[in-house]
Amino acid sequence: MENIESKLREEAKRLLLEKRADIIVGYEKGTLPLTATPCFVSTEAEADKLVYNELCTQNLAKYVHDLITAHKNSQKRVKPEDRKKKVIGVVARGCTTRSLIIHLQERQYERDEVYIIGVPCEGYVDKKNLAKALDSAEIIDGNLDGLQLKIKTAAGDKTIAVSDVIAPNCAVCRFNNPIISDIMVGTPAPVKNPATEYDKISEFEKKDIAERWDYFTKEMEKCIRCNACRQACPSCYCPTCFAEQSQPQWVGIGEDKSDTQVFQCMRLFHMVGRCVDCGSCISVCPMGVDLRNYLKKIDKDCWELFGTRAGSSMEEMPPLGKFSEQDKEDFIYNP
Amino acid sequence: MEKRLIKKNTLTGIAGKMADEFKVWAPVKQEENVIFSPLEKNEQPFFAYLNSKNAPKQIFFPHTETLMKYTSTPKGMVFAAEENKADKTVLFGVRPCDAHSFALLDMLFDQEKYKDQYYINKRNNTTVITLACVEPPYATCFCTSVDGEPVDDKGADILITDIGDNYLVEFVTPKGEKLANYFGETKADAAAETKKKEIAEKAKQAIKSKIPAHEIKPILDVNFENPIWATIHGKCLACGTCTWMCPTCHCFDISDEVKGNDGVRIRSWDSCMFPLFTKETSGHNPRTSQKERWRQRVMHKFKYYVDNFNAIACVGCGRCVMSCPVNLDIRKVVEDIAKIK
Repeated sequence: MENIESKLREEAKRLLLEKRADIIVGYEKGTLPLTATPCFVSTEAEADKLVYNELCTQNLAKYVHDLITAHKNSQKRVKPEDRKKKVIGVVARGCTTRSLIIHLQERQYERDEVYIIGVPCEGYVDKKNLAKALDSAEIIDGNLDGLQLKIKTAAGDKTIAVSDVIAPNCAVCRFNNPIISDIMVGTPAPVKNPATEYDKISEFEKKDIAERWDYFTKEMEKCIRCNACRQACPSCYCPTCFAEQSQPQWVGIGEDKSDTQVFQCMRLFHMVGRCVDCGSCISVCPMGVDLRNYLKKIDKDCWELFGTRAGSSMEEMPPLGKFSEQDKEDFIYNP
Repeated sequence: MEKRLIKKNTLTGIAGKMADEFKVWAPVKQEENVIFSPLEKNEQPFFAYLNSKNAPKQIFFPHTETLMKYTSTPKGMVFAAEENKADKTVLFGVRPCDAHSFALLDMLFDQEKYKDQYYINKRNNTTVITLACVEPPYATCFCTSVDGEPVDDKGADILITDIGDNYLVEFVTPKGEKLANYFGETKADAAAETKKKEIAEKAKQAIKSKIPAHEIKPILDVNFENPIWATIHGKCLACGTCTWMCPTCHCFDISDEVKGNDGVRIRSWDSCMFPLFTKETSGHNPRTSQKERWRQRVMHKFKYYVDNFNAIACVGCGRCVMSCPVNLDIRKVVEDIAKIK
């Protein structure tokens, strides 16, 4: 991918200078080798730390929602005429803009409260794929040279192509370029390979119930209920999650297997028409639970039954936010 | 105490033999994760590991633990104490940092003023066998900054060190010595001990990651209201990964789970990173945002624990550094705090 970092920094500085944005959410270099981490830029000098490359994993739309919500809460006791608007700038690739569209459609904030700096995306490096390619050898140091990862590991030096260790969601991404933006930095990246996006799900669907249940229980047993998946998800923005409600208490806080399964099931079902397959929940999971299998199944159903893809257009309403007489409903009675 | 030498290929066999008499927790490979788990019959432990994904603290301080049970009857409530039985257990092959964490947790759960019988019972019934790090497993290891060492017997009953041709087995406590018959007859000579000292020194020098953990104590003492606290938490997701992985984090919550007439009172892990942490019944939470929660995390580890027990509540295993989904690195946080004038 072309190096757009210098352009990105210039753009960020211009936005802050012209007061078009109060704060910009982007990525900076991480403290561990071959990592990038979310950062917040509010002065021109800080803009020089911005990076953008294939090591940027998190969907930053989550922070846009957090910042705007925190600002709105802080304005609650201010007289309406004295209230100030805060504009959040965000470095956004395809999936990030899809999440922003979902926020906008769900009336979380207004379009003029967010300034979208669109960036192209070639997909990001998946930690697990990288560990596999390195035979789990620890990464001592590394750098990104174009689309090649030059890595120094405990077991010697290695060069790996980014495309070989790309995240599974990125490999089949349909929307790797921004859908909406206020400015585009860099030229759009070539589309990935979306024709195969449901292949694995179709295979999984063919398994019998017992097999599917076994797989589900096995995956859920790994879950340690750290909530990282929920916290990283831009679509999980409820002020109080059902899992934390105490009257009534929907799920126990302990290790009971069924509580974990209920928590995960409920979260998954809340993702109907709202999961953009950004992979954030998967990349943050410390235990490597296969959540994508289920999220992608929901996405597939949503596409096949209602012909919509989450956050794919500003105009098209989300499937659960609209009604049409042609909506499929037979599956409700006949699963 | 006594020291012995064992052949390097005997470790798995010894763990297997112990499993006939004890419940043996050992590192096992589950898909891509290495975790501590009780060995099933004929299950092979995985000793060629760097460190386990999560800390082995759950052996003494389980994620969820029943404290008592109760039943509502027409004559009133009937309470039943949980049996609190602990099997004779061996924890085989923990790293020195994790064993160090047991010594730290003992200060809290087994102190003069408060005795936590649930913890103490399991701890007393468990023999801890430490497998020293002759080479530091990760570049993120910083045990030497927090009073630990890669070859160290803190919190251990038996210390096993790879000295090249053999393992040197040192019995650190009488509890460890009771298991001596599992480790053959070969007494260790002075040469083995010298070798071990050399290896220990070399391993210590190989720890390159360092943090000013002791140095920040006086700074934390007077900077509760410093503006720095507003700069740390921005990208924190408020998930509990760091605290769940941490060998020393020990905050817990107590709740009742009731089904019909029967209830159980359970204790489960809690995390200072969660919005529900310290939320009061009224709905008020004295720690209103992630800013206060992060201050609590740092203060608890590097100030309050030092005030209470004269020890830093961090063993430098680096799990939180490696597992944080957004790379919020505690080493950098501590370094930044050290720069406060």
